Amino acid sequence: MRYQSQSVAYWYFAVAIVLFGLQIVFGLLSAAKYLGPDPLLDVLPFDVTKVIHTNLLIVWVLLGFMGATYWLVPEESRTELHSVKLAYVQLVLFTVTGVTAVIGYLFRYGTGNKLLEQPLPHKLAIVATMLIFLYNVGMTIRKAGRFTVTEGVLVLGLAASAVLYLPALFEFENYTISIFYRWWTIHLWVEGVWMMIMGSFLAYLLIRLSGVDREVMEKWLYVIVGLVFIAGILGTAHHYYWVGVPSYWLPIGGFFSALEPVALVGMAAYAYFALRRAGVAHPNKLALHWTVGSALFALFGAGLLGLAHTWPAVNRWTHGTLVTAMHGHSAFYGAYAMIVLAMITYALPTMTRSPHEGESYLGYAAFWLQIAGMFGMTLSFATAGVAQVYLERIVGLGYLDTQLKIQVHFLMLILTAGIFAIGVGLFIYDFFRRVPRLEIVGDESETAAASGVPAR
Amino acid sequence: MTTRQARMFAIASTAIAALVFLILTVHSHTRFPALTNAEAITPAVVAGKDVWHRYNCINCHTLFGEGAYYAPDLTKIAQLRGDAYLTAYMRDPGQFYDERVHRRLMPKQNLSDQEIADLIAFLSWASNVDTQGWPPRPILVATGLAAPGAAEQPGVTAVPTRPVSPEDDPIAAGENVFKNATPACLACHSTTPGVNLAGPSLAGIASRAEELIASGEYTGEAEDAAGYIRESIVAPSAHIIPGAMYSAGGMSFMPATYAESLSDEEIDQLVAYLMSFR
Repeated sequence: MRYQSQSVAYWYFAVAIVLFGLQIVFGLLSAAKYLGPDPLLDVLPFDVTKVIHTNLLIVWVLLGFMGATYWLVPEESRTELHSVKLAYVQLVLFTVTGVTAVIGYLFRYGTGNKLLEQPLPHKLAIVATMLIFLYNVGMTIRKAGRFTVTEGVLVLGLAASAVLYLPALFEFENYTISIFYRWWTIHLWVEGVWMMIMGSFLAYLLIRLSGVDREVMEKWLYVIVGLVFIAGILGTAHHYYWVGVPSYWLPIGGFFSALEPVALVGMAAYAYFALRRAGVAHPNKLALHWTVGSALFALFGAGLLGLAHTWPAVNRWTHGTLVTAMHGHSAFYGAYAMIVLAMITYALPTMTRSPHEGESYLGYAAFWLQIAGMFGMTLSFATAGVAQVYLERIVGLGYLDTQLKIQVHFLMLILTAGIFAIGVGLFIYDFFRRVPRLEIVGDESETAAASGVPAR
Repeated sequence: MTTRQARMFAIASTAIAALVFLILTVHSHTRFPALTNAEAITPAVVAGKDVWHRYNCINCHTLFGEGAYYAPDLTKIAQLRGDAYLTAYMRDPGQFYDERVHRRLMPKQNLSDQEIADLIAFLSWASNVDTQGWPPRPILVATGLAAPGAAEQPGVTAVPTRPVSPEDDPIAAGENVFKNATPACLACHSTTPGVNLAGPSLAGIASRAEELIASGEYTGEAEDAAGYIRESIVAPSAHIIPGAMYSAGGMSFMPATYAESLSDEEIDQLVAYLMSFR
């Protein structure tokens, strides 16, 4: 850690991964209900476990983004944070908001609007938190007077995330219109501005972990952002299939969402060439695993598996089946969960009294178990989804009969989810078994020298 | 390419895409009223939408294919099932499906009758939104084919594989009506023995109708099996089949719309088809 105020990131990461663990608990519960019968039917039905599963994801990933930003901005701007106190106030406010929202869902206190279930007071609290956050980051950068492209893209992405949350505050009487604007928030987050955030974390990590030249990385970061938005903005149309909007959204959605993988190919190529050109210059190989893993898994889950069912002629049959769950799980995990875990893994050794740069057997086990588990879950959803499309949509079997016939895939889902959960458990354990050492140290030069690698 | 050019590329492509998106959004708003039958959004529909949200329906079901994938899509449910059926179903889903059979069940929601009426109004509105032909074929809740004891009959619910012409045998034409009437008969009735869906199984209906009329328990006006089947189609409540999942208060849950929506010839064909189940 080069700056004392970077220590706030530790607490953001700590809360984030605890909530990550909780998200997996509710995910496992939901998966078990697919196998059924459900002993908790009247206590904790599927709709409750599912809404908690998706909302915890949003909360912990956002906490991870914020923590990683508080880690990155001091380094990029070479200054202490504007206000550490404000950062902690924000952490407490956001955590309380997230946790009370989840508790509320247990009692059906929510708006019931897919992915935007947060009740209005919670939504307002989220907006307030985002404003505190942006103010704190903005003031830090202003005070420093040093502003890199990487953090510029990051801060723009975060600010745009806050702005795009605003449509979620409105209610529409026409259900079709409310769907239309739901995706202004959710789609433009995950396939737009969050990609900016992911891209800038990726650039930061690659600059630190490889010997690549900053100028080159930042130039290509711009290109990636351009590619993200060419495809991502009009790609929103793939959420407008079959929901009561004009039919021109169909070809637009098909064409532009078919372009969405281009930016993800760009990111994967970005990581590959950075390492090829400049080599690995940092002892934290585990962070490198997560970084490159994120770029590749995002290409697989978000890019290729999205492409698999985005064309209208295909989506006509797959719409609203488990095929969507296949894409959703692998995309969110690859693009957002993994990039946050990469930032945590990168920062952790310098925030804790850990012997070797995060190079632990546990850390690798956590990485590979998660990758294997998530890959298996993706395949389970894919096989279940394809079978569902065939039996339910083509043969014309009833929904309930179809679900009964694809039980074997749910069994596979639970087994692979179990492997994934062990990986998550190990990651959490690996995080908390280290004692935080939240003071300024010489960072890479010191630790790198200790492990015999020349510093950069 | 210089960094400056790369920056220009990012800004310009974002700006152009955003501009096109905004223009299309404005245009879409001019089309929403017609595509969504906005004039049909009555206070009951809005209240029903609130019920839909309040009970978190979308985190199990899908509507327009959007939501969770744990329960059936409800886009066209109001066209597949009548109001009376949906009302009774939502009062207690456990009377209609068995968790031991399907391994999942909708929990009882404790909705008030007003909430149920509003929800049905909302789902009826949704079923008439222009979804560009989606779903391409009806998504059925249950067809009974996977139920224990049901014979495997793949394709039994398929839309006809060949065109139906006037020269066709009335029974074949009747099978076509059975599959394609609105609402489709097969959405609620199986032709497999013992597989009762939303409506009773129609296996052996001709013989059973004869027995029923002879038994003296029959309450309608038909004098033979064909007459009974015809009466059941055009006036479902004339004779009630016992069972809480089929009727309430002497009114059958089967839609009483077929006398209007089917031509006399189609009803003849349907009767001929059903009379073939002995």
